[in-house]
Amino acid sequence: MRQHETDAGARKAVFSPVDSRARVDAVVRRIGDAIELGLLADGEQLPGESELAGRLGVSTVTLREALMALRQQGLVTTRRGRGGGSFVSLPEVPADDRLKSRLRGWSTEELRDLGDHWAALSGAAARLAARRTEPADLEPLHRTAGELAVAGDAAARSRLYGRFHVELAAAAQSARLTREQVALQSEVGALLCLVLADDAYREEVAERHRSVVSAVQDGVRETAGTLAERCVSESTARLVAVRLAL
Amino acid sequence: MVVSPGATVATDPETWVAARVGGALEAVFAAVAGIRADTAALLERVAAEGRRPASRDLAALRPGLHLRLRHGELVSGAGFVAAPGLLADVPAWLEWWQTGADGAVRPLLLDLDPGRSAYSDYTHWDWFALPRDTGRRAVAGPYVDYLCSDEYSLTLSQPVRSRGAFAGVAAADVYLRHFEAAVLPLLRGLPGPARLVNARGRVAASADPAHLAGSLTKGPDFGGVLATGRPGVYDGLRLVPCRGVPLVLVLAA
Repeated sequence: MRQHETDAGARKAVFSPVDSRARVDAVVRRIGDAIELGLLADGEQLPGESELAGRLGVSTVTLREALMALRQQGLVTTRRGRGGGSFVSLPEVPADDRLKSRLRGWSTEELRDLGDHWAALSGAAARLAARRTEPADLEPLHRTAGELAVAGDAAARSRLYGRFHVELAAAAQSARLTREQVALQSEVGALLCLVLADDAYREEVAERHRSVVSAVQDGVRETAGTLAERCVSESTARLVAVRLAL
Repeated sequence: MVVSPGATVATDPETWVAARVGGALEAVFAAVAGIRADTAALLERVAAEGRRPASRDLAALRPGLHLRLRHGELVSGAGFVAAPGLLADVPAWLEWWQTGADGAVRPLLLDLDPGRSAYSDYTHWDWFALPRDTGRRAVAGPYVDYLCSDEYSLTLSQPVRSRGAFAGVAAADVYLRHFEAAVLPLLRGLPGPARLVNARGRVAASADPAHLAGSLTKGPDFGGVLATGRPGVYDGLRLVPCRGVPLVLVLAA
């Protein structure tokens, strides 16, 4: 069993069908993000072309184009013959440069839309949580806000940022909002590394998270919702600014 | 502690319903007790060989877990969750199996590497912390289980001890929609709107459209009602503890 190498839920999402408008870009982004987040490990063999195409719900032609793009980005190597196939390979270039090339795959309009979706989820979750939580429900959120305030590297910060919003949805007692938030974090998580490397901004996010928890605890619904929305909109705005500077 | 429904039906309908609800969860606790016994026996066998258990030893639990998933009417996930440091080869481990939508039983594979997953530390969840800290069985939830099933769930758990030390928890998941299907006919049979709440006032199942599952009932000291095991009254509400399990039946008095 490969308990230590895999994250079943997140990996399931990696290989689930992309929507019917599936394009090469979507496949490149999905697999690239999974590699960047460490869900697919360096050296790991990807499933065979026809299996992978089937699981992603795309044609083998689309998959081949996507694999070619991933090879060009240096994220996948392909070996022929016995024991051959496609393998994950983390290039030697700094993570920051790799992430910036991932961000180039997003238009500002797509980032704006991602931010709107995220704000809708987290705002609704905060409003519901303000009505439905009692103090013990908030312990995970307090812990995550505290851990974020001291987290060292950008990847750890981005994981904790995502966990906070998943826990907020769970505090709302909504399995649907939680599932959507988990799915959204699998898209936005890698990109957030780009804005969270800045210590000052890490402090600001931790502080914003604390104020969301306080508002939820006090049961002030509108304040909780507005603060949660502002927190994620601000992060998305920063991502857009980075994108425009590329 | 299964209460025979027939014995109490003569008293009053709410006492009877509370006993039946307790009985439904007692059946799940029986599965948890079986997992606990299997695990304790396994850990004792390994200790008798003079070595520490390893993750591969826990594979011996699988036939029992699969059996309980197939036959436990309300059970959708079951397993043993090791206390960090118990196993010689890995820092942490869940020997956890779930029934999928297609009826197939599958293992849960989690990334427990703190360098890669933000969800690697499972020791804060109520289903782990409550039995560890109290030494007693517990019902966690209702809560959104984003670690294992992505379902709104109850998790019933019990501590497992090995040679005097806490070794982890045996546990079973009950999805709230299945729990509701089991208890709703009972609640609807009562004369007025009725709901079941946990010790913190969270509604676990309800036949009262004004108080749905997941909402909070604030005011009454449900923990106190459960501690005494005696029915109480609060501001026009009648509170009846479900014997043996930490749920209170709430009705308009």
